[in-house]
Amino acid sequence: MFYLLFKTNNKQKPLRVIFFYILYCVVNEIMGYYLQSIKSENFMWLFYTFTIVEYSFFCYFIYIILPKNFIRKTIPFIWVGFVTLAIVDIIYISAKKDFDSFASGIESIIILLLCISYLFSEIRGSNSLIIYSTFNFWVVIAFLIYFSGTFFLYLLANKMITDPSFRKLYFIINISFNILKNIFLCIAMTMKLNDTVNQQKATIPDLDDDLFIQSNTNYQS
Amino acid sequence: MFFIEIKDTLGISSILVIGTLGMLVMAITLVSVIVFHQRRVLRFNRKIQLMEEERQQLLLRASIQSQEEERQRIAADLHDDAGPLLATARLYLNENLIHQEPAVQLQAIFSSKQIIDDAIQLIRNISHSLLPPTLKNFGLEAALKDQFEKINGSGIINASVRFHDNRERLSDEQELFVFRILQELVANIIKHSSAGFIHLTQNAQGKNVYFRIHHDGKGILQQDFERLEYHSSGLGLKNIQSRVRVLKGKILFEIDSSRTYYKITLEIPR
Repeated sequence: MFYLLFKTNNKQKPLRVIFFYILYCVVNEIMGYYLQSIKSENFMWLFYTFTIVEYSFFCYFIYIILPKNFIRKTIPFIWVGFVTLAIVDIIYISAKKDFDSFASGIESIIILLLCISYLFSEIRGSNSLIIYSTFNFWVVIAFLIYFSGTFFLYLLANKMITDPSFRKLYFIINISFNILKNIFLCIAMTMKLNDTVNQQKATIPDLDDDLFIQSNTNYQS
Repeated sequence: MFFIEIKDTLGISSILVIGTLGMLVMAITLVSVIVFHQRRVLRFNRKIQLMEEERQQLLLRASIQSQEEERQRIAADLHDDAGPLLATARLYLNENLIHQEPAVQLQAIFSSKQIIDDAIQLIRNISHSLLPPTLKNFGLEAALKDQFEKINGSGIINASVRFHDNRERLSDEQELFVFRILQELVANIIKHSSAGFIHLTQNAQGKNVYFRIHHDGKGILQQDFERLEYHSSGLGLKNIQSRVRVLKGKILFEIDSSRTYYKITLEIPR
């Protein structure tokens, strides 16, 4: 946490979004433990709102980093659509059940699709940087791996209540992928802005006076 | 149905593990493919960039070499022609100081005057060869007509020019560049092609001005031009190409369908 706080000196907007997302995750975890310990009935609300907030953070992040294209334009509409769906799910569907992961499943699919669209837009673009030298890539990979790994988990999450062995597996997989996601996010956070800029500078060919002088000298000799 | 059947036989935990692993493998494969593909594209772009840098360097060298050759030519003209002329004039004037007879003095002054006139003419010629006064004063059409008349007058080759639409002239800088390009092309044709005639046509269409040279000698085609551009020799062609690039124009070397004469088309945007 302290390390990440330290790294917020890096004033890049997408990274700040991710930083606040991590901060929110930490607060959510603490709140979760607290509500569980006091056996509060509001615990499930925390889970439902987490889906919406997490999705909003990711949408905002991907909206910032995507180049101006069709997918970027559709992100606000997708966000509105999903949030409406999630609210309807919370009020009318999930409230009648003990546990429902319908919204999480949809969230996973949308986030995976957005991650894939980012990766494809990167290889289609004329960026001269190696894709993994940017922190955006590592953030997207963190989400891609996390939501790929937990996709089936959320699809089958309603079995958790009836099946104790599944519940054990649920926590193992969820925590493992959470750790993996945080590792990737840490990699993104530790990537200095300067590295990116320096690499970009290195790719620009040196066509200044040195070249002129050198060729001139060669010619004369 | 299939999913439910599998669920019954395998158990929910197995489906979860298999599904998770499957998704993870797919995600890793996707990322790997994208990373490798991008690396390959970047390597290819770098290769193209290096080739372009190499070509730019060749053009730069050609430009420097051409400048040096021009300087050497001017130095040689001044040293071999203007130098001896002025030295002779000085000798005559010196003689004037020794011989006091007015008739001899008059003769020496007259000879000196003639030599100085020759020197002035010589310097004027050098200056004209650097920047033709007709081009400066009357524009590209007049300069080219003048140039072609001189070529025609030499009797080596039959040269003609025709301007169809020169109502909207190019800028002075563009005209100078076009003049140099055409001068170089014509010089090459005279030097290498053994042509019997050269005909230059100008026309304008939209925002572009076109110049086309026809000749019946031994010419080159576009692929030869592009090949020679990367060759260490072919200084004139490199100069042509660099000037065309500065003008943001195009140059095309072709042969006509009857294969009797070659065509060089120069397209210059206004």
